[in-house]
Amino acid sequence: MFPVELKNLYFKYVGKQTNILDGVNLAINKGEVVAILGLSGSGKSTLCYCMNGLIPHVYKGELSGESLVFGSCLKNMKIADIATKVGTVFQDPDTQLFSPTVEDEIAFGPENLCIDREEIGRRIASALEQVGMTNHRLASPDHLSGGQKQLIAIASVLSLQPEVLIFDEIMSQIDETGKTRIKEVIRGLKKSGKTIVMVEHNLDNLDEADRVMVILKGKLINFTGKL
Amino acid sequence: MTAPTTLDPRTKLVMVLCLSSLAVFIRDIYVLVGVLLLSFLISVILKGNLFPAFKQMKRLLLLIVVVAVAQSLFAPAGRTIVALGTVPILTTGGLIQGAEFILRMAVIVVSATIVATSSYREIVQGLVQWKIPYEIAFMVSVAIRFLPMLIEEIKDVMLAIQLRGVELQKIPLRKRLRIYSYILTPIVIGTVIKAEKLAAAMETRAFRAYPQRTSYMILKMASIDYMLISFSMLAFISVVIVYYMWGI
Repeated sequence: MFPVELKNLYFKYVGKQTNILDGVNLAINKGEVVAILGLSGSGKSTLCYCMNGLIPHVYKGELSGESLVFGSCLKNMKIADIATKVGTVFQDPDTQLFSPTVEDEIAFGPENLCIDREEIGRRIASALEQVGMTNHRLASPDHLSGGQKQLIAIASVLSLQPEVLIFDEIMSQIDETGKTRIKEVIRGLKKSGKTIVMVEHNLDNLDEADRVMVILKGKLINFTGKL
Repeated sequence: MTAPTTLDPRTKLVMVLCLSSLAVFIRDIYVLVGVLLLSFLISVILKGNLFPAFKQMKRLLLLIVVVAVAQSLFAPAGRTIVALGTVPILTTGGLIQGAEFILRMAVIVVSATIVATSSYREIVQGLVQWKIPYEIAFMVSVAIRFLPMLIEEIKDVMLAIQLRGVELQKIPLRKRLRIYSYILTPIVIGTVIKAEKLAAAMETRAFRAYPQRTSYMILKMASIDYMLISFSMLAFISVVIVYYMWGI
């Protein structure tokens, strides 16, 4: 059973003439880091939404084929079940962080899952340790750098303890220092056995990838060195 | 975790509710001055950020003239100070009404600084513990959180227009209003996109996964909170009774 499996996936947004995903097939092994490259508008983010359930639960359109997480079809899964299996970090840290303190931000997910307070406390401490931001527990996300904000966004997803992590161009708005720290965190997560999907358009950010694929005209193919 | 500030946000909300209600109900300038001074005092004790409030009040002072003239013209009362022929332009009654209006606004602005001494997460938690649905309380907190971002976006669009050579200050008001209508489109679209991104991030973190949710933050009221809430409510009721029933 694959942590992520896409079978003959087609998707077309409402009001569009052509499919943005045109027969995508993908199977990711446990603990594997797969990078997905593609030009702007090629459907990288759409692919992420198909892997984390935002399509079809939030974004509507014509979807056919299957998107499976540990053998279960995302279409039939509840939000709570998806959130504990697939965690997603998006490109813009400012639209992901909405709490006054780092601690509140990380607690948000477990609170939604009705986890008890003691366990939430443990998860906050563990998530902060994994991203190396323990000292910023009571800080306001507004006072952090872009890279630090993105680390908090990762921590807030880790507190849900998902097996699969999707990083949707998380380093595109970050300076070099921030990128280095994020890459270190990704390395640590890889070591801990997490399955990671990294959507990128920058080839320099693929150090940890075991496999690199490219999305071209709605199809996902192995990367041969050219976009 | 318990809230780090000394007073429970619910206590502050009750105090502010009493102060602003008094500001609305009372029509006596001396009592209004007293309410404003009390608001100031509470804000200072709670280390409220009064500087932005002062800045806002400075702008409000201009309104005093407008309100005073409008009151003098449409509801003349008291002694006429300035007149145009037989038409009173400024009367003592109008001036007092203008001053009362400013005092009321000042109480509300200073009250906001009292509430702002708690973080919006604490306020949300306070409202939730008052049995207000989490979705509504959260919506309010997100609006507060993203308001500065919206202001920033408006400033950016205005700057972009000025960088294209449009000098807004030199354009007549009518044309300027048309330009403002143009900038509305990118601001609304930008806001909708941000809201969509925020919603997506929340969904992936199991927002509304269940009808109930737990809370890591728990607010606990201390005896000082109970005392202050009781005192505020008693004081409010007493002032209203004395003012309205006894007509003092």
